[in-house]
Amino acid sequence: MEQLFNIDFKRINSSNDKEAADRKKNFELFLKRGLPNKKNENWKFSDLNYIISKNFKNIRNNDEYKLDEQIESIHDFDHNKVILVNGSLKSYDLNFEEKEKVKIETLKSLEDFHDQSKNNLDYLNKALSIGGFNLEVQQNYKCKKPIIIYNYFTANLNNKIINNSNKIKVSQNSELTLIEYNIGEKSKFVKNTFEKIYIDKGAVFKNIILQKKKFNGYFYKNISGIQDYNSSYQNFILSSGLKFNKIEIDMILEKEKSSCHILSGLNLSKEEHQEIKTQINHLAPNCKSYQKIKNVLESDSKGVYQGKIFVKDIAQKTDAYQLSKALILNDQAEFNAKPELEIYADDVKCSHGSSSGSIDEEAIHYLMTRGIEFREAKKLLIKGFLNEIFDNIPEEKIRTFLEKSIAVQIDEIR
Amino acid sequence: MKKEELKNQEYKYGFTTDIENFKAPKGLSEETIRFISKIKNEPKWMLEWRLKAFNRLKVLKEPNWQKPKYPKINYQDLYYYSAPKSMKDKPKSLNEVDPKLIETYNKLGIPLNEQKRLSGVAVDAVFDSVSVATTFKGELDKKGIIFCPISEAIQKHPELVKKYLGSVIPLSDHYFATLNSAVFTDGSFVYIPPNTRCPMELSTYFRINASETGQFERTLIIADKGSYVSYLEGCTAPMRDENQLHAANVELVALDDAEIKYSTVQNWYPGDKDGVGGIYNFVTKRGACRGKNSKISWTQVETGSAITWKYPSCILQGDNSVGEFYSIAITNNHQKADTGTKMVHLGKNTKSKIISKGISAGQADNTYRGLVDIGAKAKNSRNYTQCDSLLMGNKCGAHTVPYIRNKNSSSTIEHEATTSKINEDQLFYCNQRGLNQEEAVSLIVNGFCKEVLQQLPMEFAVEAQKLVSISLEGSVG
Repeated sequence: MEQLFNIDFKRINSSNDKEAADRKKNFELFLKRGLPNKKNENWKFSDLNYIISKNFKNIRNNDEYKLDEQIESIHDFDHNKVILVNGSLKSYDLNFEEKEKVKIETLKSLEDFHDQSKNNLDYLNKALSIGGFNLEVQQNYKCKKPIIIYNYFTANLNNKIINNSNKIKVSQNSELTLIEYNIGEKSKFVKNTFEKIYIDKGAVFKNIILQKKKFNGYFYKNISGIQDYNSSYQNFILSSGLKFNKIEIDMILEKEKSSCHILSGLNLSKEEHQEIKTQINHLAPNCKSYQKIKNVLESDSKGVYQGKIFVKDIAQKTDAYQLSKALILNDQAEFNAKPELEIYADDVKCSHGSSSGSIDEEAIHYLMTRGIEFREAKKLLIKGFLNEIFDNIPEEKIRTFLEKSIAVQIDEIR
Repeated sequence: MKKEELKNQEYKYGFTTDIENFKAPKGLSEETIRFISKIKNEPKWMLEWRLKAFNRLKVLKEPNWQKPKYPKINYQDLYYYSAPKSMKDKPKSLNEVDPKLIETYNKLGIPLNEQKRLSGVAVDAVFDSVSVATTFKGELDKKGIIFCPISEAIQKHPELVKKYLGSVIPLSDHYFATLNSAVFTDGSFVYIPPNTRCPMELSTYFRINASETGQFERTLIIADKGSYVSYLEGCTAPMRDENQLHAANVELVALDDAEIKYSTVQNWYPGDKDGVGGIYNFVTKRGACRGKNSKISWTQVETGSAITWKYPSCILQGDNSVGEFYSIAITNNHQKADTGTKMVHLGKNTKSKIISKGISAGQADNTYRGLVDIGAKAKNSRNYTQCDSLLMGNKCGAHTVPYIRNKNSSSTIEHEATTSKINEDQLFYCNQRGLNQEEAVSLIVNGFCKEVLQQLPMEFAVEAQKLVSISLEGSVG
């Protein structure tokens, strides 16, 4: 049997011999256990080993970071630009912000990632990570404009794997809106990203993950974060268009009054498979978490939501909510959910709801009696279903831009 | 009832009965299985079936994904067969049964004699491993209903047993189910002929008496076309320091237009306040709605056992079939429960409903784990799930782990779950009207469980309501 990975360590820069040795050691550990498969509870609904083995062989690591064309900017609203090419920081332009208040550089050390060893992909990442970015917002500084990360993937990535790691620190009483904008060319490749987030006292961090258009990416992203007193984290996942995508979020609400919102609106079409897995750990009293996951599933697409709320015994007055909804438009499509609660404190308000089904026939009928064509009526309802996610975005320009992006996707529905 | 009285009323079924027991040699081996089969005077095919299960067992591993962890069970240190000695020659009527046994049942409150006739319950009592006597046989015989110990069914109705045994829970299903298939000692067998409505509630009472024994009973209920049966199961066990294993298999088969209602009140010994002793209740219960328009309904009230680990399930094969699951699981002190259901929708227009109420107090852990799986061919199917948890104190835990799979665009799944504590306003309201804390909690909890309690047949509903109050004693105020 042909081997799945064909990694050349000479093509990865290591700062010293120890690092090089560590990489090899981690790679050995990864090979020993292989890619996660459905026997692993976490991967029950998304058998990564099967998916990767079916679509790839002889995967090589990438060492080319040359931008092969001009990146088309977003003109809908003012923003700071950061450009990543194949996962590596290429250039940035933070002109809207005060000097020294926002810093970004290539991530040099994987120190922050040491304590975790959550799954085999972590070993793989440590073995092959080429860094990524390290972003820090200084204390008491509220960013004037959002930062867009143009996450660009070149056309020559066929059969390659990209491993990178990012670190984001939002210091005390600061604010940041970060939009990750994925732009891919025709190539078919794998990406494995680990991201560490620190949100200090009173800080607000908004993260939006968006896809420009469909491309052949097989992505895994692991986000783990720690929230301090009265901090706020909001993540909007709108990454429709990848062949495979799993986003795993592990947030620790370490101090009182912190809040965590995860919202997602996905519209999956042919041969697309996306999973959102979350674990929200309520470790302190008076924290709030809110999750709303919405999927529109066409063709033979597959949507998965695994969400867990953990409430420690001292975390009284926790308010935690989880909702997952799926619209299944085709009999080949599939929606799987595992909304989990693990609760050890009694004075809490925790609930979850999950529903899946087809589009409301009566609503279609209603619209059609008012002269709207069937296809239009269906689109209108889908739009309404997904747009609810944007209600939580206060900036009107960004909201309009996102609604526009989603509308383009919905237009493709037959 | 005053709190003090409640305290003294720890586990009222915790008496042991001094009856000489006749046991199989200790340990799990081919000899033990041959011994059980021989003593039951079983035909060859049955022994072969058991041995096949035993061979399968050798390659299976004990599952370990469940939430409650327990010390490793030494299967070689258990007795797999234990029967009251005086039963070796089976009694022909109740008069021949050891009076001490009858006394035990009277203590348990099972209506084995005339009381039975009054309450209209036919009981097949399983004491350790052998059915003591089956009552009301005559009346059932008239209708052609077969209600007897499964060991008798193997002798008298081999064609039915052969056809249905293991057809819902296959030999190689999982560790405990396979263990049961290899060593099961007795249990009930019910067959309802076509277009017959069983005139009374059928009932079994399980009791583990001897120490170091496992209880492995096997129940098989077949409801033929257009028939109806309601079956009740109750369980108790004496207080002992060691943990006892109970690994039963229950198989239900409902053919076209048939309905089976299966109710359980499980009150095995839960261990003492510090979590010493108690029953490990690892039970496999599964029903197959094979025919069109068939219905299986599970109702359970789980108040006992040190560890409860079971998922009464429905396989909805027939078109328009219906599966229901109503459950109350109460855990106090160090009890652990990991229970729920599986609803597997295969046929068209199938419907299922799950109502689960979990209550945790003390240091207990209560998990609802369930699966709703709607297959690609199960058009227009529906599921509704509601699981609510109530927590009393911050040393206990309540967990919900539902698996939801929908592969069909015309089917709908709805799931809701909440976790909360007893509403202070409701407590205050009750207190104001002169109820003490304990009474108020009992009232509110009963209200919380009402949706499930009202599914129980009358005889059980009263007992269950009392159990709900007793199980929570000392957990408030």
